Amino acid sequence: MKIKDDKYTGLFKFIAYAVILLASIVCLFPFLLIISASFTDNASIITDGFHLIPKKFSLDGYNLIFKAPEPVLRAYGVTVTTTVIGTFLGLFFITMAGYVLQRRDFKYRNFFSFVIYFTTLFGGGLVPWYMLLTKYLNLVDTYTVLIFPGLMTPFLIILMKNFIRSAVPDEVTESAKIDGANDFKIYYRIVLQLSMPGIATVGLFLALAYWNDWFLSSLFINDPHRYQLQFYLYNIINTIAFITQMGAGSGVSLGGDIPTETTKMAMSLIVTGPILLLYPFAQRYFVKGLTIGAVKG
Amino acid sequence: MPIRKRGFWYELIKNRILFLMLLPTLLFFLINNYTPMVGIYYAFVRFDFNRSLFNSEFIGLENFRFLWQSGILSKLTVNTLGYNAVFILSSNVFAIACAVLLSEIKLKWFKKLTQSILFLPYFVSFVILSAIVYNVFNYEHGFLNTTFKGLGIDEVDVYNSPKLWYLLIPFFYLWKNIGYSMVIYLASITGISDEYYEAAKIDGANIFQRARYITVPMLKSTFIILLLFALGSIMKGQFDLFYQLIGNNGVLYDTTDILDTYVYRSLKVTFDMGMASAAGLYQSLFGFVLVMVVNAIIRKINEDYALF
Amino acid sequence: MITKRRASAVILSSFILASALSACSSNNNGNSASPSPSKSSASPSASASASESASASPSENPAGIDTSKHVTLQFYMLGDAPKDLSVIEKKVNEMSEKELNATVKFNFTTWTNWDQKYKLLLSSGQDVDLIFTADWTQYQSYAKSGAFLPLEDLLPKAAPTLQQFVPQDMWDAVKIDGHIYTVPATFKEYVNNGFVYREDLRKKYNLPVPKDIASFEEYLDGIKKNEPSIQPLSLNADVKGNMMDVFREINDDTVGGPLPYGIGIKYHSPNDVYSYWGSDEQIADLKVIQRWQEKGFFPKNVLNVQDTMQDGIVTGKAAAQLGDNPNRFNDTKMKMQSTHPDWDLGYTPFAVTRGFATPVHPIHNGFAIPKSSKNAERALAFYEKMVTDKRYNQLTEYGIEGVNYTVEDGYYKMIGDSTSNGFAREGMQGWAWRNPEFMLFDKSFDGVKAIFAELDKVAKPDLFTGFAEDYSSYQAERAALEQVEKQYFYPLYAGLVKNVEEGVKTAMDKANKAGLQKVQDAYKTQWLAYTAEKGIK
Repeated sequence: MKIKDDKYTGLFKFIAYAVILLASIVCLFPFLLIISASFTDNASIITDGFHLIPKKFSLDGYNLIFKAPEPVLRAYGVTVTTTVIGTFLGLFFITMAGYVLQRRDFKYRNFFSFVIYFTTLFGGGLVPWYMLLTKYLNLVDTYTVLIFPGLMTPFLIILMKNFIRSAVPDEVTESAKIDGANDFKIYYRIVLQLSMPGIATVGLFLALAYWNDWFLSSLFINDPHRYQLQFYLYNIINTIAFITQMGAGSGVSLGGDIPTETTKMAMSLIVTGPILLLYPFAQRYFVKGLTIGAVKG
Repeated sequence: MPIRKRGFWYELIKNRILFLMLLPTLLFFLINNYTPMVGIYYAFVRFDFNRSLFNSEFIGLENFRFLWQSGILSKLTVNTLGYNAVFILSSNVFAIACAVLLSEIKLKWFKKLTQSILFLPYFVSFVILSAIVYNVFNYEHGFLNTTFKGLGIDEVDVYNSPKLWYLLIPFFYLWKNIGYSMVIYLASITGISDEYYEAAKIDGANIFQRARYITVPMLKSTFIILLLFALGSIMKGQFDLFYQLIGNNGVLYDTTDILDTYVYRSLKVTFDMGMASAAGLYQSLFGFVLVMVVNAIIRKINEDYALF
Repeated sequence: MITKRRASAVILSSFILASALSACSSNNNGNSASPSPSKSSASPSASASASESASASPSENPAGIDTSKHVTLQFYMLGDAPKDLSVIEKKVNEMSEKELNATVKFNFTTWTNWDQKYKLLLSSGQDVDLIFTADWTQYQSYAKSGAFLPLEDLLPKAAPTLQQFVPQDMWDAVKIDGHIYTVPATFKEYVNNGFVYREDLRKKYNLPVPKDIASFEEYLDGIKKNEPSIQPLSLNADVKGNMMDVFREINDDTVGGPLPYGIGIKYHSPNDVYSYWGSDEQIADLKVIQRWQEKGFFPKNVLNVQDTMQDGIVTGKAAAQLGDNPNRFNDTKMKMQSTHPDWDLGYTPFAVTRGFATPVHPIHNGFAIPKSSKNAERALAFYEKMVTDKRYNQLTEYGIEGVNYTVEDGYYKMIGDSTSNGFAREGMQGWAWRNPEFMLFDKSFDGVKAIFAELDKVAKPDLFTGFAEDYSSYQAERAALEQVEKQYFYPLYAGLVKNVEEGVKTAMDKANKAGLQKVQDAYKTQWLAYTAEKGIK
């Protein structure tokens, strides 16, 4: 019996390593291409395309960015600020909401879940939303406009609700209540402690969403000092796209230098670099046993 | 009966702290999502710079007409539904499989590294992906055909083979999103009590059986959430994936055109809000009906799993 | 209902603001740029009333407008803001504060989502006082649907100098339904296409100078034969704009365009509107393109190529472009020669074959005042300064003399390079407020000027751009035709369909089902009304 189990375990492990390794290679390959392309001479990319090893090595892509680094550095500041504030604020609201919505003794939990979920189905469209934020809330060119719209999504709230429900048994809440703790205290003292994997996941997703956002900058920010980091990447991409789309008849010719393929690739690495470290950080909380042990102890 | 009469206000006072904790969230959605919903009415009026929304001329379903005028609405709908169904199914199957496999890997550095690598594609924007894809697939100098030529295999004209994209599109979708959904499942697996596994071990269940009968069933509630959210937007979504990879290539539209790309192209030059709202409403209604039905079914089977 | 909504909105936003502000302000200290624009836009009423006391001397008031109240004008331009914008803005504001009791905030949409943002700016009723217009931003449609303020009554009062400065025929040319909605730019330029080709290779292999489609094909044949590693023709996914429309311009005597919905109108018989789609003319054109595809002049997967047309030429990947305008040709040539001084680029304006060229229509570059503007008079008075006052004009076109540029022998010369210089030439995309009297040109522009001088000799008016189409009655068909063109005509434009006749037949079938007839008929009616009104024969 024991031997058989080991055999199965061995087979399982083999499959696990093989599949994960294969998937990793598939995921890594394009990324390596991008890295290589960012170090390739631009003319060489246009004539020969991408290769895993640069055909003609060049630092031009990075030079262009590092020669005048202030805008990118400032954008880092903006993105880090909005990401940190947004993630913490968002997590606070989301965990509270998730906790309330999973409480079985909260009579209206289904109704409110529906109220929240409904917004994923129906929306008023871009224009009314744009008017709300610009005309009624006056948020153009503020940090608030970069933070507020991303604070919560129905998906993350429901996900959080689910995580809390599976991590916090009803009995724990019950007994805490009998001990005289109020609902907020239970949430603050017990629920938050027990739901760390869930919080780490939702926090990671929130942070990624803030970090990857460029759309809010494109709509609501006119002051280049408040552009988000990703916006610089999208600006490069879109300037190139714009030039390919403007026929000769438009007569448009841009004064400054037109960004190149290499800059695009270099920029895409510069804007993703730091956030890659966040994931290993969040991983620390995906440890088994952390949760249950806490309850028992 | 008397309990019901006390109803809402009684609840409000009894659970005032819970209500208070939920308040920021409700306010958020009220402001950010519900107030702009007045804009849905744009779908039924002729947009006019000189008149406010509710003073504009009501034109019934005229704004919806562009959806079926081209005669391809049914095809677009089928394509959109089909692709999304494949996405939902495959991404969940793969994410669960990867999460289960990964959770059993004990080699720490390997686990951490691969987990991060699987997440990498999430950071690659579709614009850049499309450049890479072109680099691999283009007929004359593409990586694929150069390799094929070297091996003596016939060249493939991927960008002129509509059917191939039935496979390629889901592949790139998976490639990009697998890391994201995997994390959700990994976190869920973390939440499963070790006691179940210990008990199963004692009962003589091998590792496959443990995965099959403990881990996977425990992921059901997570799966249902992902499913219901995906169903709600089954008529929308993944615009960038299609738009960037296919772009202007009409040859591939039969098999790759979805509602979002069609609407985008149709309205890019016009500024008509009404038509955009109309398209959005069509997509929303579709998702709404679907979700209500599925949620009701789930509710019948097990109330705990239902979203609302 | 509305007050309720607003009240709750204010509560939440202030709540979030309070929690976010403490952290933000510390981050913000580092960059003390111009007077923080966010403050002024966050509370427009406050800024307006606060500066009301500012020294306004109505007696100095140049125009017949009331400038007693200070205003901040919101100026919107497309594209990216130059790095030194805040410096320029400050300098401009110093002057305009004194002279008009107004300050201006220069806003830039960037090229990211610019078309969407343009729509939003105009349709949301946001505070916008001046906004760029062009044919390619759909000026005619926006004007027709009432997005802009008519200017004819405002001009004599708020901007008499500007009204004098712009010739009357230009004012007439931008009129839509009898109203002036934009202030046209007066700089005369040409954006007609011309063949762009590698002259050094042409000489080396003794190929003909491309003058028309036949000689161009000969040239491409020669390149293909002698330089197999070079792609003869540069082309990208926009096969309509970069292939078909240009092809028709040189080969089919089109009136201008791009003409929509497969309409055909010839410059020399502008009242004869026919369907180009499905015509023998189209089939003949498409066969040529199909032949070029077969010969391998451009990539098979051209519909997925995202490179710019010029990059291929600059890097030597490709040898020729079917067409480009003189200005861009010159840019391409300069760029190419900066890395490959031994290469040469040739240019044959289509005018050589067509016998005429059309200077840009006044609609091509302009500035309009949106309906929602609350400061229309001041905005127009300010724009007058931008165009006709040398200090404003050169500052906003070229930056600060001695810092951003110098003038040598009458030529503009940039100081440093485009990364170190915070304000390149026309760094604010100042196409619309160019004033020929104050314009400074880079030495490299001499090449363009030479071409323009040639074209001046054969100049004829642009008949097409003044036409404002009203598509409100066939929006749905329009959208459907857009789809048909992309799906069935684009592959033809790219030469991918082997049997051209059959391909056209299928495409026409789909187009007819989508309502081609209705759209073409409506277009024709409108067009004929337009030519009748303008006396075009």
